[in-house]
Amino acid sequence: MKRILLILFLAGFSVSSLQPEPAKLKVVTSYSYIASITKEIAGIYAHVEPLAKGTWDPHFVVPRPSYIAKLRDADLFINNGAELETGWVPPLIKQANNDKLNGNGILELAMYIKLQGIPKKLSRAQGDVHPEGNPHFILDPNNVLLAAQAIQKRLSEIDPSHDQDYKKNLENFSKRWRDKLVAWSQAMAKLKGQPVVQYHGLFNYLLNSYGIKLEGTVERLPGIPPTAKHLEYLEKLIAEKGITIIIQDVYNPEDATRALVKKLHIKMIVLPHDVGAVDGASDIFSLFDEIVRRLTHD
Amino acid sequence: MVLFHSLPVFAQDDKSETRQNQGAPAKFLPDISLNVDFSGVYRNLDQNAFGSLYYPGYAETEYGDTINPLNGFNFNYAEFGMYSAVDPFFDLSVTFHLTVDTFEIEEAYARTLSLPANLQLKLGKFLSSFGRLNEVHAHAWDFSDQPLVYHVFFGMEDLNEIGLRLTWLIPAPFYLLAGAEALTGRNPVSFGSTGFSNPGGTMKVDNGSSPEIYLGYLKTSFDLNDLVILAGVSAANGTKRFDNGILSTDGYGVSGNSTILGTDLTLKWIVDASRFLAWQTEYLYRIVDGNMYYNSGTNDSYTAKQSGLYSQIIFQFTKGLRTGFRFDLLQKNEVLIGGASQNYVENSTRYSLMLEYAPSEFSRFRLQYNYDPSGYNGSSATDNHQIAINANFHIGSHGSHSF
Repeated sequence: MKRILLILFLAGFSVSSLQPEPAKLKVVTSYSYIASITKEIAGIYAHVEPLAKGTWDPHFVVPRPSYIAKLRDADLFINNGAELETGWVPPLIKQANNDKLNGNGILELAMYIKLQGIPKKLSRAQGDVHPEGNPHFILDPNNVLLAAQAIQKRLSEIDPSHDQDYKKNLENFSKRWRDKLVAWSQAMAKLKGQPVVQYHGLFNYLLNSYGIKLEGTVERLPGIPPTAKHLEYLEKLIAEKGITIIIQDVYNPEDATRALVKKLHIKMIVLPHDVGAVDGASDIFSLFDEIVRRLTHD
Repeated sequence: MVLFHSLPVFAQDDKSETRQNQGAPAKFLPDISLNVDFSGVYRNLDQNAFGSLYYPGYAETEYGDTINPLNGFNFNYAEFGMYSAVDPFFDLSVTFHLTVDTFEIEEAYARTLSLPANLQLKLGKFLSSFGRLNEVHAHAWDFSDQPLVYHVFFGMEDLNEIGLRLTWLIPAPFYLLAGAEALTGRNPVSFGSTGFSNPGGTMKVDNGSSPEIYLGYLKTSFDLNDLVILAGVSAANGTKRFDNGILSTDGYGVSGNSTILGTDLTLKWIVDASRFLAWQTEYLYRIVDGNMYYNSGTNDSYTAKQSGLYSQIIFQFTKGLRTGFRFDLLQKNEVLIGGASQNYVENSTRYSLMLEYAPSEFSRFRLQYNYDPSGYNGSSATDNHQIAINANFHIGSHGSHSF
């Protein structure tokens, strides 16, 4: 019996030493969209895992202890930044006991993007405002390229042995992405100049990018639900501006939006804000395919 | 990580709506926050009757809490917090606990950022990570008061000591944390570092040496889809020194070896982005083995085996609205003095119901009703019905809490 165990042990040992598992980089991302872009750039050289699910409110993610175990082993953590994760990521990093999550072990994408909607006056009397600007920058598809570039640079820094692979992957991704940008621009051209209302300031970057006019939000202030008075104001605004679309996200309550569209005989369009938010949005490409399809489909 | 997000950013003029965000403000200011708690309390007992209540078998602790102590209006606390990285190797967290008349350093500790092998060292004054709730600050509790078992084992300030903590995040495919702490042992309820002697000096219990509490815990967690399970076991050992007026003729002191064991379980079912259902329970067991010393200089053997638990359910049914029920039990209360049982009451209970409304992440109102028949006045149990509304406000840097 002992001899059999010894043989099995040695066999196991020799097999594992003959075929060493290629040391894969471990990358953890806060959101699914970051994981999707990172997979495009990292290819087979990294194991990439997101923490939050695309269907959740990105501001309020429950900081599960299982995330701490994932961050414990990470070589790199990539987050959105601009305070989007401020309510849930800091305690996770602090408890991860991982000396790599320091310095260039953390990549904050917001640092590489021109942010919009920086509050001119910073006060929480204005709701849950983000001092650095609107953090939902990734919904402008042009910013996806900037994020991809930042990710490639950081991957090359911490894993120089695959620098050429990451660059090649970025080049390939950028080419495919630019083709898509052209297609999306063409499809969205018919919406240019059209006024819309959205629930929360999630899609500002998308709307600005395609020249769609954002006239208001269903919520009264960022993170503060609508009041009857505010809905009355919206009714007038929608009538005055001839607004026909209210954009809703997948995680905020729909009742206020539904009541408005029913009363005013206009349309509610639910848009995904992250990979995985709706069935059709399974990666960064199909996320924008789905957004464009939902906006342009009559 | 953005450490300096409490700094206001002002756009220079109308055109500077966008900028390249490089995230670095001009000055090294730490994150600063202030949390303030007020309340209004109504009880069936007047202040004197309330003040004369006690828990049989737990002479070390008073009935009632530092939160909501008075009938009518209470200013409970202002908690002033500061946090910043010190350098690439440490960060520093400080919490000042202020009341109308007092200024206390509730916590002030440094933590390592770059120890290898999934280790982390914490040093300073901090709330011990014993159990589930001990390290949670009052403003983050689900109810406005401590569970009874925490109150009678650790006192109003919980297990808050000066010392060291080492944690090791064990490389398992799930969350598994081992922690060890060495603490001074000042906690006046289950431990205590001040010695005592009788008037003639014929008996003497020396002051404690530091550190005197050694404590360890193991915590684990895993997810079953949207059900998060967190479980832990904890153990603490130290020396108890309790001087209950030994200098007066009917006074006495107790000293001996003190051990507290605890186990906790939390199940949180995250229904969707705005709803969850959480069940949390903790069971604690304390053994004190030593002597009871009298004013005359004589002594008797003293052994106490005491236990208690709390179990609570919290349901958040929409963003900003939650309700909860908590059951407290002080179970075993077996105290032997000179081998003779004191026959203290066992299985004392308390029931709490709360409803909470948070207009935003930064303000909260909580209505809580306690039915508490666990307190004694003289030799009879006394019902305490309490209704409290606590208002809590938070300004400054955005708070974030652990699971």
